[in-house]
Amino acid sequence: MSAETRVEVGPAADFEDGDAELVQVGRAEVGVIKADGKFYALRNQCPHDGGPVCEGKVEPRLVGEWGGPGERVEQEYDDDQCIISCPWHGWSFDIETGKHIGDDRYVLPTYEVVVEDGVVYVNAE
Amino acid sequence: MIDPSEHLVVDCDWHYADTFTQVAPYMPEPWKTKFQKSGWGGTGVKQNLSAFFPASTGNRFNYGKIEREFSEYPDGGDDKQDIVEGMDHLDIDVTLQISHLILAMGGISADDRRVEAFVEGYIDYMLEEVLDPDEGIYGLAPMPYHDIDASLDVLDRIEDEEAFVGVVMVTAGASPPLGNRKYDPIYERCEEEGYPVVYHTGGSGLDDYVRAGYQDMIETHTLGFLESNMSQIVSVACQGVAEKFPDLEIVFMESGVTYIPGLVSRINEEYLKRSEEAPLLEKKPGDYITDFYFGTQPLEVSARPDLLEVCFDMIGTDRMLYASDYPHWDFDSPSVITDLPMLSDEDRKNILGQNAVEVFDL
Repeated sequence: MSAETRVEVGPAADFEDGDAELVQVGRAEVGVIKADGKFYALRNQCPHDGGPVCEGKVEPRLVGEWGGPGERVEQEYDDDQCIISCPWHGWSFDIETGKHIGDDRYVLPTYEVVVEDGVVYVNAE
Repeated sequence: MIDPSEHLVVDCDWHYADTFTQVAPYMPEPWKTKFQKSGWGGTGVKQNLSAFFPASTGNRFNYGKIEREFSEYPDGGDDKQDIVEGMDHLDIDVTLQISHLILAMGGISADDRRVEAFVEGYIDYMLEEVLDPDEGIYGLAPMPYHDIDASLDVLDRIEDEEAFVGVVMVTAGASPPLGNRKYDPIYERCEEEGYPVVYHTGGSGLDDYVRAGYQDMIETHTLGFLESNMSQIVSVACQGVAEKFPDLEIVFMESGVTYIPGLVSRINEEYLKRSEEAPLLEKKPGDYITDFYFGTQPLEVSARPDLLEVCFDMIGTDRMLYASDYPHWDFDSPSVITDLPMLSDEDRKNILGQNAVEVFDL
């Protein structure tokens, strides 16, 4: 990755889990988020109404499993799936793929994040 | 006299004043987390009630997923400045204020004067502190319609007030339905004064309508508001309100648009078979309905574009009024109208503002 195609975000050590930092990548505002120890970058514009999705809550996805006829659906938080929810209307996206959790035709563009020498960069390409 | 300390004493009704904060750490997952995210601190409901044990499945907190200001109805309430800032945020020039609290009036069964008293105070408060035609902030006066005389008193109160441009009839819980002759004096007076009647759905009775026992808000919110508007549309159309009061402007608010073609089709089908039961009608009931005005929110942007096009075509873009429902959690920005590909720019302008200017004589 050349210096021209990446945008510096800041020291990785400045991020705690759940922190988000907004950076400009080309014409797009991008949210760089640390969740569960990993970095993600998503476009900060909800495809629904343009809301600042990266300023929303990051949390594990609530999933349910049906035990069979007459059984309640057992719900639990899946620590392997992280979602981010737009603070305006609650549209939720998989933080890794950017896909809406209810309809994967809606996709939030994602960006590659690299940490080099303790500094976080977003790949602009 | 005996000494209780020497005898068995059984108190059969002691209430431990537990709080959710105390109990939550002991709850199993995922309920512990659901509670902790439920926004209980900002509900505006004290006694430590929370969105975890909501009074209704109309639980808009989404377990705390949305943190946007006002998704939780803060204790302090709005003031004029909040409206000005909201209008600026959404690029809105003129707004018609509807009381949030009055939407629950349908849940009141007591035969007292609480609704009238609230409306009386609300109107004076709004005139004194909030409404301001110079800044485009107008109001719609709630009708305490269970009492016709009280409703006419409200109309007396506002008739010289430029800031009120119409009335609100809450559709949830209205009994008898709002096409009943009982309400004729209200309609007659509104027609005389040039006040459109805005039928607004409401949250009261959400859990009793159609299916008691829904579990989540997604269920009640899909049908609850819709059902209360649909049932009143059928009554108003079939009982001939539009024939009795031909100059009365009729507006239905807050149920989206996709239900209307289905309702029109069904009511016309019934009319073909039982026309004699609606003797005041000079045309099919569906033709009256498509002469009513409809607020667009919450517009079903998820619908197939060709369905949305049919809906707009049946209702008529001259009969649609942009509504934001701001600051409620599911508000619509003006972009839901401006982004619709099948509309002409003229249609967009009409829906966003021009139709309302004509209906409400702004």
